[in-house]
Amino acid sequence: MNITETSNGAIAIVAIEGRLDALSAPELRNNRSVIDPEKTVVLNLEKLDFMNSTGLGAIVGALNQKLQPDFGIVLSCMNDDVRSVFEITNVQKLFHIFDDTAAAVEFATTRQGAHT
Amino acid sequence: MSSIITLTLPGEIMFARLASQTASSLADLVIGENREESAKRKFCHAFELAVSEAVTNSVTHAEEFDAPQMLTVTFEFEPRQLTVSVRDANPPFSIDKSAPDIESYPVHGFGLKIIREIMDQFTYRRDGDANIITMSKSL
Repeated sequence: MNITETSNGAIAIVAIEGRLDALSAPELRNNRSVIDPEKTVVLNLEKLDFMNSTGLGAIVGALNQKLQPDFGIVLSCMNDDVRSVFEITNVQKLFHIFDDTAAAVEFATTRQGAHT
Repeated sequence: MSSIITLTLPGEIMFARLASQTASSLADLVIGENREESAKRKFCHAFELAVSEAVTNSVTHAEEFDAPQMLTVTFEFEPRQLTVSVRDANPPFSIDKSAPDIESYPVHGFGLKIIREIMDQFTYRRDGDANIITMSKSL
């Protein structure tokens, strides 16, 4: 799995590429923006090929650490396979999910602005 | 007539990935060329995900009980069905636990729910000192 990080204003955009499973989940759990409670993160999942429940747990765990559980982690661009894992487990209820990253960043920026 | 392929793997997390990727490749081989691409993709992903969940569970529990050991993953091809069994030597466990409450922001406990949802058949049995999970999906 590869993680690349960019920023858009106060928002960190963390792109995950490859497979998010028990082998790779620690890398996401230890990402500095993910573990920063005050940092709002857009997780770009466009190049995430595969995710199991351990990977899902890492994303929920990231949300758990945020001061703002409503928009601390915002998701974008997941493929059908990854989306199915969110849907089967009902975990999609915990997140705002967007089909494109720009919309996710705009949402996160607006929410963060409204909160400060 | 059926064909059987068996993997014997060390109970380490890196081999859970190997097992799931093998499952995906085997599913792709047996699903046939005549299916729609989206149906093929869905079948292969379901099989890969189910094996990933079962083997990850096995390996995680082996590490939890400090019992590094081998586990066996057996794939059986039948004309209309693909079956996989995961056998380990961990302590017995219950498959009757309900899925975690979403509102508690759970970080684990979804594996069996996923398997039940995406596979056509799922059984668990205890055979001597071994756990055996068997999962099937119709082609």
